[in-house]
Amino acid sequence: MRSRDPGSDAALMRAFSRREPGAAEGLYERYASRIYGLGIVMLGNDATAQDLVQDTFVKLWRSAERYEPSRGKLDTWVLLVARSLAIDALRRRVLDARSLQAIGLPGEVSGEPGPEEVAETADLADRARRAMVSLSDGQRAALELAYFGGKTSAEVAEMEGIPLGTAKTRIRTALLRLREAMEEHREV
Amino acid sequence: MRCDEVREVLAEHLLGTLPEPEDLEVRGHLRGCAGCRREMAALAEGVSLFSRAAHETAPPEGLKERVLSVLEEEWAQQPAPAGAARKWNWMAAAAAIVVLAGSLGWAAAADRRAVRYEADAANYQNFLGVLGGENVRVGTLSPRGSRDLHGSVVLYDAKAGEQSWALLLVRAPGMEGTADVTLSSSDGRTIRLHELTFEAGGDASTWLVTSSSLKPYDRVAVTAPDGTQIATGTISGERTPTG
Ligand SMILES: [Zn+2]
Repeated sequence: MRSRDPGSDAALMRAFSRREPGAAEGLYERYASRIYGLGIVMLGNDATAQDLVQDTFVKLWRSAERYEPSRGKLDTWVLLVARSLAIDALRRRVLDARSLQAIGLPGEVSGEPGPEEVAETADLADRARRAMVSLSDGQRAALELAYFGGKTSAEVAEMEGIPLGTAKTRIRTALLRLREAMEEHREV
Repeated sequence: MRCDEVREVLAEHLLGTLPEPEDLEVRGHLRGCAGCRREMAALAEGVSLFSRAAHETAPPEGLKERVLSVLEEEWAQQPAPAGAARKWNWMAAAAAIVVLAGSLGWAAAADRRAVRYEADAANYQNFLGVLGGENVRVGTLSPRGSRDLHGSVVLYDAKAGEQSWALLLVRAPGMEGTADVTLSSSDGRTIRLHELTFEAGGDASTWLVTSSSLKPYDRVAVTAPDGTQIATGTISGERTPTG
């Protein structure tokens, strides 16, 4: 897998904050498909997913100087930024739907999910998907709630009706298990 | 926090769902514990894999142009909108440049001594005090090697909701071209100022305005494009005014 050291994350963000067009493009190449896909999964359609990509990049630019490699990988930071924007969009949508209902108009018109073109599955994504199979349903659900929903372990525990310790363990084990499964696939 | 306690919440730390006070403790622990950092790296790899498996989807053609052109627009309007509540310190920074340049006799006498620069930096701190600018720290540059070089750096550590800034002035007769200026903290963080460009006579200045806190940064280095250090300095808040 293409792993990058924190130094190169920092260098990329520094170049981005200095408006080097190559850096903006580099960031786009690296993250657009994951942000777009996050939008498809969380928001359900192509147009809002595209908006999510745009808004995420603007926010990344506006906070580029606040990125501290010591606090975590760029990957996670970018995804957290995208996720928080997606959650905001979902909240707005819920509010909009309520107000539309109040005045008697139908809500969201286009519920049609999915991108038109099927994603060209990179080898890595493919292997990652195969690794997902190795997660139990419980592990996967806990991880999805925390990852997509930004739910704390306590919230995950409540929603899943499981003890707090179990929720924590499931999320952690799911992440480590994915990594192990990838290693196994790599060796095959 | 002990290692086992930290490890229990590392996934949450990574996923951004750990409440702030606890998250702060975790970050502190991670800075000093390689074992937990390794564990975090493993979990981060898991997050990265999950993101690919769960939602990597090729975006439509044309989105890239759209995003890049939006960024171009954003750049054309720099400084980026900083939020209504945020006090802008450009005025102070601009005034600072003028006054500091003046007090260093920038265009005049070439034979000033470092001592004098140090005094000027202190005067400058007084000046900002008068302006209402507390939280000002200064540092004096020392040349590496036998180069003739003098200069000062001034940092303004913003209060909440304000922009912090840094300003560096240097004179190095004979220097040409550009140099990098980096602030660094004792825990290994760095921030770069805008590139330094030497004018005829070897004068150069650069600055940075940021929403990040500059408080942890207490060292400055000026580095030539080939990587050699030209000058370094320590930034302190304790300097008292001298003659
Ligand atoms: Zn530890």
